[in-house]
Amino acid sequence: METSDLTHHISRRFNEDLEKVRNQVLQMGGFVEQQLHKAITALVEGDSQLGESVATDDYKVNGMEVSIDEECSRILALRAPAAGDLRVIVAIIKTITDLERIGDEGEKIGYIASRLATMERPADKYREVKHLGRQVAEMVHDALDAFARMDSLAALKTAKQDKIVDEEYESIHRQCITFMMEDPRTIRRALEIMWIVRSLERIGDHAKNICEYVIYMVHGKDIRHTSLEDVALQIDAAHAASRR
Amino acid sequence: MWTFALARLAGILLAGLCLGLLVGPIWVWLLVAACLYLGWQLLNLHRLDRWLRLRSQMAPPNLGGIWADIVAQVVRLHRRKSYHKQRLVQLYRELRRSTAALPDGVIILSTQHEIVWFNRQAARLLGLKRPIDVGLRVDNLLRSPEFVRYLHGDDFSVPLAISAPMQTELYLALQVVPYGAGQSLLLVRDVTRQMRLEAMRKDFVANASHELRTPLTVISGYLDTLADDTSIDVAWAGPIRDMRAQAQRMNTIIADLLELSRLESTDGEAVREPIDVPAMLQRLQRDALARSQRPRQILLELESEDGLYGSMQELESAFTNLLVNGIKYTAAEGSVRMRWWTDDEGAYFAVIDTGIGIPAEHIPRLTERFYRVDAGRSRERGGSGLGLAIVKHALQLHGGWLEVQSVEGKGSTFICHFPPQRIFQTAERAAASA
Repeated sequence: METSDLTHHISRRFNEDLEKVRNQVLQMGGFVEQQLHKAITALVEGDSQLGESVATDDYKVNGMEVSIDEECSRILALRAPAAGDLRVIVAIIKTITDLERIGDEGEKIGYIASRLATMERPADKYREVKHLGRQVAEMVHDALDAFARMDSLAALKTAKQDKIVDEEYESIHRQCITFMMEDPRTIRRALEIMWIVRSLERIGDHAKNICEYVIYMVHGKDIRHTSLEDVALQIDAAHAASRR
Repeated sequence: MWTFALARLAGILLAGLCLGLLVGPIWVWLLVAACLYLGWQLLNLHRLDRWLRLRSQMAPPNLGGIWADIVAQVVRLHRRKSYHKQRLVQLYRELRRSTAALPDGVIILSTQHEIVWFNRQAARLLGLKRPIDVGLRVDNLLRSPEFVRYLHGDDFSVPLAISAPMQTELYLALQVVPYGAGQSLLLVRDVTRQMRLEAMRKDFVANASHELRTPLTVISGYLDTLADDTSIDVAWAGPIRDMRAQAQRMNTIIADLLELSRLESTDGEAVREPIDVPAMLQRLQRDALARSQRPRQILLELESEDGLYGSMQELESAFTNLLVNGIKYTAAEGSVRMRWWTDDEGAYFAVIDTGIGIPAEHIPRLTERFYRVDAGRSRERGGSGLGLAIVKHALQLHGGWLEVQSVEGKGSTFICHFPPQRIFQTAERAAASA
């Protein structure tokens, strides 16, 4: 199902409603992306004010989630969509939950970043965390792009990135433990850093979930808890079938 | 040629008539002649039709009579059409190629903000993909909240500067250019270099001012000591006084430069602390009246009890700058008037003087740094040349702007405009204190 199919819907009003709510989801995604970006910048640049502003702005994300949720229930009640349209609504309801969680994790990072800003900064200026943050931000961005484009292949590719994020999380974890053993004075900071990378890793998982909803929305296949290799085969088969 | 065709018909009929007169019943021979003519015409018609159908593969048929002419006309028409078509196609290709080669990104948007077309540079800067992104809403892909607000707003006079999605080191200026019935062009320009230069310039000014401050403090310190030293020859008193005055001036300039670079580096909006503007203006008036060199009259007209939400420090510095300017350029027998009023469209603070005025051609450039209407004259009045630049920036932070009216020789009026959202109403104040 492509967006062009959406535009050829029998009921134009319904179609407009669907497009509008999809757009709202992406606006929410854009805001969450910005929050995440700000939170990482606050950490790397030691900007406590920026970190606090991220933490205080989280209520906006929650507000967006509630309003999109209401809109979805309204569409479900009024139009009783079926097949592809129903899948879009279901995927949207799930996506906004994950977006809201990403917002929460971003809030956490912003809060910790504002606290860390008052402490001494390590020599490497959080290079590893910055790198992981960038990777995760890219995942969220690509997941939302895949959502906007209804592009299951891109979604699959993005979902696979989660493994790299997990590995990087693991390595920072080890690094923090090493630091703590070497010099107990760094324990406080290292613990805070561990919270941050934990949040980043969770954000990666949420981005992966969004990718899975995109695949569900496009192909009608629930791929949660299945290995990505199997999914890749199925999607390839579906693409080959649609080309024929 | 139609006469020729008619003549031919007449000739054939005449031949039939003659044959009929010679050898048989007239009407049979006439019929035969007419049928022959009709058959010939039908044959021609058939060949023309076949040629028109298979025109691309066949040479034009060699037809007789009027048909040859028609074929020639069709050929000519066709040639002209294909020539025009070719030219249009060429023009279109050239246009596409030139827009594709533009150093700036171009996106054509439909009325619903859907992407209709974009060039290569836009794809590169914004990460768009062809052909999957055609038909998608642009705000689905460019999700930055600032951009969405800009796109759905109606003020496209200035481009919006944001960092590129996922390439944060890249700065883009985006501008919407509406055209036709609701369509618009979205122009994307890479402004990373300008932004970096701008940042460098700001840093330089801030650092240079800061570095100059310390040596200057030492110099003024020694000059102060020297001025009080009685063992120095009296002949030095004059030069030392001048040096002190100049050092004082440099101090002012540096303080203003630092203030300006602080204002410039503040992003977005000023804080919103409630300020009691009338009380502040009364204080300013008292300070001004305490000055030794001043015009006879310094008046204050308070037409509103309301205050402003904003930054105390910045507004006070802006208002002081305007008032001091007015005092400086007004002769002792003139007057300087401050006025504060509000209406539905906002709040206003004006300084009206009866001073020397400003020639019209200088007004647009007044707020530039170190811009002087008359270099010699203003220097002796001891300004830093930065006052109005500071006023402009301070107002910008509060969403306001500066209006300047002046008649040379009669006086000048400086009006600060503030948006209504910034007004701090007295009613609220009463409620807050109750």
